[in-house]
Amino acid sequence: MTMTTEPLSIELSGVTRRFGRTQAVAGVSLDTGPGVFGLLGPNGAGKTSLLRMMATVLPPSSGQLRLLGRDPGAAGPRRDIRRRLGYLPQNLGYYPGFTVAEFVEYFALLKDMPPARVPRAVATAIDHVGLGDQARAKLRTLSGGMLRRAGIAQAVVNDPDLLLLDEPTAGLDPEQRVAFRALLRDLGQHAAVVVSTHLVEDVGAACAQVALMEAGKIVFHGTPAALAGRGEGTGAAGDAPLERGYSAVLAAARSGLAVRS
Amino acid sequence: MISDFEDDGPGPADVDLDRAWLGVAAEVWRRQPGPTERLAGRLLRSPGLARALVTTPSLLLGWVIASVVVLAVGAAATLGTGTPYVACVAPAVAGIGIAFAYGPGIDPAWELSQSMAVSDRMVLLVRALAVFALNAVLGLAASAASGAAAEVTLGWLVPMTAVSALALATATVSRSPFTGVAAALAAWAITLLSGQVAGRLTLTITSTGLIAPYLAVAAACIAVVLYTTRIPGGTRP
Repeated sequence: MTMTTEPLSIELSGVTRRFGRTQAVAGVSLDTGPGVFGLLGPNGAGKTSLLRMMATVLPPSSGQLRLLGRDPGAAGPRRDIRRRLGYLPQNLGYYPGFTVAEFVEYFALLKDMPPARVPRAVATAIDHVGLGDQARAKLRTLSGGMLRRAGIAQAVVNDPDLLLLDEPTAGLDPEQRVAFRALLRDLGQHAAVVVSTHLVEDVGAACAQVALMEAGKIVFHGTPAALAGRGEGTGAAGDAPLERGYSAVLAAARSGLAVRS
Repeated sequence: MISDFEDDGPGPADVDLDRAWLGVAAEVWRRQPGPTERLAGRLLRSPGLARALVTTPSLLLGWVIASVVVLAVGAAATLGTGTPYVACVAPAVAGIGIAFAYGPGIDPAWELSQSMAVSDRMVLLVRALAVFALNAVLGLAASAASGAAAEVTLGWLVPMTAVSALALATATVSRSPFTGVAAALAAWAITLLSGQVAGRLTLTITSTGLIAPYLAVAAACIAVVLYTTRIPGGTRP
């Protein structure tokens, strides 16, 4: 683990992002620290754009963003952030001719990890995601779930202080998802972890805080229990309390009543 | 006789098997860099950049062999006909190689690469320079083998710079290597044909009056690449 006294924080203030005439993120303000933070919302709500801005891949159109106490708009701090960043994009491409170990090692090196630390970090990351038996298998031979786990391994290989995961459980079977949530809780003890998902059960099982996005805005920010509480007595659709809370908040937001806890 | 072992000091239970396993796995799974990667790592002072360099699609063995074959055919045609085919082909081969050096259509994990501490701009520039250098060496060898005159042997290096820069700039702006290749090939073909129309194919290669325009095109294209790949300071309102 990286020992640091620097803040493990994500601070967003009025962040927007436009793509032409489409506003993907519309003035999001957020302040969070260590622990697992869930980002919920329907497709097209702006979750991925927000995560890409946090990953320093996409600059905001306006607003202020500070990650781990630094401004990613400046080259030096941006590089510092990236050294301490783990990122799993929604659509992670793979080099079909790489083995799992080569793939994870490649990104460990691109994260500027000291070369002497890389082999053990690679082995640890691969072991964490349960791909030890496939470490020397070519990526082109793996299933979708295994590829996703290889992607998670590269995200955690540098033991990041800031971990951003976009739909990490997509393609994982139920057993793998349970194991992954345990890994998330473990990582959240010493890092700021943001998980974007549309699966509310992932949030309920692993996240201490959750934000719900709709049309580029955060329409709810609180604990999973508080989100579940929003659904009580509303008759909102859903099989579980969190799903009903999710549906109730979305319905309220869509009817023009922004809800904030 | 289990009791015989009770006082024999630390047993297997005292060994951290997880830690031991990770140590073994780290050694077994580690990839030993080849001599080229080790040399690049020393020169670039970055193992990450060196690894990114040796994974350049247009520096992989198959691509290099294809380039050598094309230039060898050009050299043979030059020897047979006296027309400087190597000089005509070398800039195009380099432009194609550079367009396919790096980018969203080339690197499967390009989105992820953009979030890395080793900047994607640096990866792009290092890969482009390496592809250019390799193609220059191959082109010079083919040109020398074809027995072309010195002015032709060296003359295509300047247009090659312009064609390569155009391919790089177009591929970077359009985020498509195919567009980069199309732009570079079209521009070079038009340039060659204009020389032919003017009376001599080699005019566009040997004319000293064209050096400044070629270099101006190259400089403009490199400026476009640098602007397109700049670090956006977009966090301030």
